[in-house]
Amino acid sequence: MTKIHQQIVEASGEVSQDDFKNYRQTIPRTGVEFEMVAVPGGSFTMGSPEDEEDREDNEGPQQQVTVSPFWMGKCEVTWDEYEPYMITQAPRDKNGARKDYDPATDDIVDGVSQPTPPYTEMSFGMGQTGYPAISMTQHAANKYCQWLSAQTGHFYRLPTEAEWEYACRAGTTGPYSFDADAMEDHAWFYDNSDDKYQQVGQLKPNPFGLHDMHGNVMEWTADQYEDDYFDRIADNTTDPIVRPIKLYPRSVRGGSWYDDPEQLRSAYRRGSDPSWKDQDPQLPRSIWYHTDALWVGFRVVRPMQVPDVKTMDAFWNSATDAR
Amino acid sequence: MTDLPRRDFIRSAAGTTAAVGAMAVPKVYGQATNDTLQVALIGCGGRGTGAASNALRVGNGPTKLVAMADVFENRLEISLSALNNEFRETPDKVDVPKDRRHVGFDAYEKALDALNPGDIAVFATPLAFRWVHFQKAIEKGLHVFMEKPLIADGPSAKRMLELSKKADEKNLKCAVGLMIRHCRGRQQLHQRIQDGEIGDIIAMRAYRMQGVIGSCFSTKKPEHKSEVEWQIERFHSFLWASGGSFSDFYIHQIDETSWMKNAFPIKAHAVGGRHYRHNEDGELYVDQNFDTYSVEYTYPDGTKLFFDGRNMLGCQNEMSSVVHGTKGSAFVSKFGHSPRGVSSYKDQEQNRRQRIWEYDTPKLSPYDLEWEDFVDAIVNDKPYNEVPRGVEASLVTSMGRMAAHTGQEITIEQMRECPQMFAPDADKMTMDGPAPVMPDADGLYPIPKPGINKKFEYVIEA
Repeated sequence: MTKIHQQIVEASGEVSQDDFKNYRQTIPRTGVEFEMVAVPGGSFTMGSPEDEEDREDNEGPQQQVTVSPFWMGKCEVTWDEYEPYMITQAPRDKNGARKDYDPATDDIVDGVSQPTPPYTEMSFGMGQTGYPAISMTQHAANKYCQWLSAQTGHFYRLPTEAEWEYACRAGTTGPYSFDADAMEDHAWFYDNSDDKYQQVGQLKPNPFGLHDMHGNVMEWTADQYEDDYFDRIADNTTDPIVRPIKLYPRSVRGGSWYDDPEQLRSAYRRGSDPSWKDQDPQLPRSIWYHTDALWVGFRVVRPMQVPDVKTMDAFWNSATDAR
Repeated sequence: MTDLPRRDFIRSAAGTTAAVGAMAVPKVYGQATNDTLQVALIGCGGRGTGAASNALRVGNGPTKLVAMADVFENRLEISLSALNNEFRETPDKVDVPKDRRHVGFDAYEKALDALNPGDIAVFATPLAFRWVHFQKAIEKGLHVFMEKPLIADGPSAKRMLELSKKADEKNLKCAVGLMIRHCRGRQQLHQRIQDGEIGDIIAMRAYRMQGVIGSCFSTKKPEHKSEVEWQIERFHSFLWASGGSFSDFYIHQIDETSWMKNAFPIKAHAVGGRHYRHNEDGELYVDQNFDTYSVEYTYPDGTKLFFDGRNMLGCQNEMSSVVHGTKGSAFVSKFGHSPRGVSSYKDQEQNRRQRIWEYDTPKLSPYDLEWEDFVDAIVNDKPYNEVPRGVEASLVTSMGRMAAHTGQEITIEQMRECPQMFAPDADKMTMDGPAPVMPDADGLYPIPKPGINKKFEYVIEA
């Protein structure tokens, strides 16, 4: 962990305002590329107003929230990016640590825990090339971020709920970042998705240039899901996060191909549930897969300011022993 | 309450009032003095532990885990701690003190000794040991839950069927882990198809295409492990232990489509091969599997089932099965084994606007339901023996595998009568003794050679 942190500080510790722009990242281990969009920091009104149609109680009371600048994945993480991390032939313990790891000869990327292979295929026949990766636990998504960071020299992690909603709204204040009449131009949801997720980045982006924030797959955030989120952050509205202390529920945002438009709203919130592993026939149930969550994926962010090693650790190993 | 006969206790607990009829066969339930159905787990891997957990969660009978057996001590300990964690709120469900944890090839016998007649043995070891364990369970008068597949060769099929008859003679209930048969959604679909909703079935398709999963591909055995130890650990890599990736991964979908057809196929021809022989680090694979298989199964009326299987990273995945009828089509499985998406259609493309019916996904998974049904049969003494059907499903699955491995069309008779038994000495195996297949000087095991070895899936050189 310290080595990864050191490497990141050396590679990208100081980023000037001039260097804060969109970029394309190649994953060294696989040669796969993805794009990152520079999201300027700022303040916004988080949550939904009481008169918003289909609003739920957990979407307020609205708060003025400030977030620092970060880059965010232009699209959801695809199978092209995720599958080589998910399926490896290395011998692993259930926690994903390599059984044959030797710190003297193996590098820090190999030192990151990676998933044990799934017992069944995890795209559920909905397609892989260009399609969003799904059915991973939040822990698996966190470890992907660490794996990515260890080989790129950039600190990648999941967005906080606040960052996610800020990026989703992109300056807008309505239910969606687009006009509700233009739903089909911007979002994959139950009525237009033909019962499956769709390739990322096909529809129009939001004002920040981010695709599929509404619909396609729901996206993991770094937070514990709490009904009273807005009360909890009331005293600290700059870069707020509700740090997880238990395994369930953790927060997901954005709605999916399986949802109706009201669940795609910028302020709509929900949490993960143990039933997302109902079909896992093994015990202990895998810490890597939500065999029943065919609609959950994620995208990565990279904060402009590199934090200390303790903060990195908290994102990548998010209450992993909790239940 | 404590003086009530055990059977009556459970009947009232299960809320049933069925009268006890005159039985031609002895009743084996209700002989013990306590009120509990005791369970012993033989084979403590992930699925065995999962099965034990399903057993303990069952709603219609007081079940309790009392003994465990495995050939690896660490597997047993991991399994026990997972179960203790799972049942931390009802800790008396898991009662396996040190003296009822048994390790080694004779451990199964010791674990079964902890049971009384009418209790339940769970078998989730590599399949070569199935008949060995089944035989002992019948001797001891135990009901049995056994994981699929049951056999991978003809001689073992015959042996299991003979044992199955003995189990019937003793009125022992036998369950087989083809859990899809117990899925309420698939049961409803089966009924709808019988009622003619999609007409007569004319073709079926099934797919299990995925990355490299389980232990299907193996590089050379590490020196510090014994041959037997390593082959059991890597059981998907060896035909004797699992029927290979083919039998272990594909059986469910071959069985579920055959169920919808109300028949089992009578012959198969198939293609398959091994495209990639090295792992990502360039090390040679030494196991017995192909990485791709494509099988055409034929049913007695000429209907075909087309099955595609692949274990290859980065290729398009698919795990579904579809039946086509004269008036429409249906998803038997849409998303793997999940009951989600089980549905019927007016067209042949499963277009959702042509959907006739879709199953409303339930709370209980098929893995729980197969236990509900099994324990219900024990408690209420209903006829229950899934072994003949499980053997048949295992045999037709093996028939497709053998067709691919030999390059020949294989009939069910040829499969059944093929004398090759992959692990004839399964009852005498030891950790340090010889394994059913041994490596050559380069560490490679005997592999299928289609067109060269036409009668056997592999040949052990003298």
